Amino acid sequence: MFNYSFRWNQAFQSLPDMLQGALVTLEVAVFSMILGILFAILLTAFRLSGNRVLRGITTTWVEVARNTPALFQIYMAFFGLAGLGIAITGWTQPQLGFAVDLRLSPYIALLAGITFNNAGYLHENFRGALKAIPDTQTRSARSLGMSAPQAFGYVVMPQMLRISFLPMTNQFVWAILMTSLGAVISMNSDLFGVTDNLVKINFRTFEMFAIAAVIFYVMTKIVTLSARLIAARLFRY
Amino acid sequence: MKSKVLAFGLTAATAFAGPAMADKLDDIIASGTLRCAVVLDFPPMGSKDADNNPIGFDVDYCNDLAAALGVTAEVVETTFPERIPALMSGRVDVAVASTSDTLERAKTVGVSVPYYAFENAVVARPGLEMASWEDMKGKVVGATAGTYEAIWLEGQVKAWGEGEFRPFQNQADVFLALSQGQLDATVGTMEVANANVASGNFGDIKVVDKAPMVPDYVALVTLREEYGLINYMNLFINQQVRTGRYAELYKKWVGEGEPANLTINGVYR
Repeated sequence: MFNYSFRWNQAFQSLPDMLQGALVTLEVAVFSMILGILFAILLTAFRLSGNRVLRGITTTWVEVARNTPALFQIYMAFFGLAGLGIAITGWTQPQLGFAVDLRLSPYIALLAGITFNNAGYLHENFRGALKAIPDTQTRSARSLGMSAPQAFGYVVMPQMLRISFLPMTNQFVWAILMTSLGAVISMNSDLFGVTDNLVKINFRTFEMFAIAAVIFYVMTKIVTLSARLIAARLFRY
Repeated sequence: MKSKVLAFGLTAATAFAGPAMADKLDDIIASGTLRCAVVLDFPPMGSKDADNNPIGFDVDYCNDLAAALGVTAEVVETTFPERIPALMSGRVDVAVASTSDTLERAKTVGVSVPYYAFENAVVARPGLEMASWEDMKGKVVGATAGTYEAIWLEGQVKAWGEGEFRPFQNQADVFLALSQGQLDATVGTMEVANANVASGNFGDIKVVDKAPMVPDYVALVTLREEYGLINYMNLFINQQVRTGRYAELYKKWVGEGEPANLTINGVYR
């Protein structure tokens, strides 16, 4: 029996709060991308280095990031680390007269979880991009007297970032969508968290989530379209 | 021949008119089953025994209601946030799930008279000294999203203008976060707080104080337009108290002492 009556007005009253949440969602996604790219470059450098330990770090990171659910990664960042004692509360130093609070806020835990995931996937994108850059590029750079890190930094990396630009925007879209997982670690300021909390009070489940879905859709569409425009401008030969 | 056509017409007419006239109370009696939404991570109101069977005050209450209606009870496990959506989507007939009768909820669903009332306790994390509930000011506090105590606590944090409120998806996560020190304190029903402290599963958490809330009256909930069922449930709750069954269930699940008074002086409902 379908006897649900829609109350869109009631749901639309929450729109300002939800748009506020959308800003937080974007913020988390942007930070997680910036950090993710930095970590991915670091992981790529690790893999290229001859050092076994560094390569092991990269392999472990990428394997875990790509073969476990993002929800699990975010849950571990919050509850898992705390279980290991990373959430030290009010670690007082009476002789120094101050207290340290080492708890990860839900925001930081969510950012850490998504960054971890991003870095793993972006590293794979970079690895594919590196395969597309001929060896001669590095060799020419070295023959011009550049050191190995210089050759990577000035010659290889810019090309790598250019080739993996569009896959990166895909990851950005994923990052926006992954923020919704913050609800399990008590994040309540992002778009999904705000919506979820409102639904628990007014029970307009379908209407509220439909509006949130449209906001998510618009956000990701803007990202992909602007990425295309930027790509068209950047990569004209 | 004519009478046959007439008879057929009448039968057809009643067949079509039948479902339209019946309400949920009729439907439940006709189907022979009463589907109750019960929260089973909320002892002593609802939990599971060693064989995974649902037990608790709410489970018994659902069984009593089904017996009164002359049908069999079917306990459908839901989480706190899912109770009302399960009702709205027709997965259950009633929620016997310690649901606070807030005015906000009454906009959406039909609420009976109270069948139980909770006192709320403030619980502190291990290693934190708190003298009273007011020590929660400026701390990181949390509760199960959407519950009566969560709404109160979030309001308090806003009023204090300092500290932080964190909503979790279920009661277990709240106490996990509390035992880990992710939360400094939480507010929960006295019964659940005492059960969790006694269980020893959550380290050295302790009940500090009573939360200064109006007692949390909880009601049976069904769809807003089902007056027949709401009236029936109101009378049923009255009978439960009248016959002494309410006191009996209180003794069985909560323990010694007086069950809360379900009426409020000076007002009629």
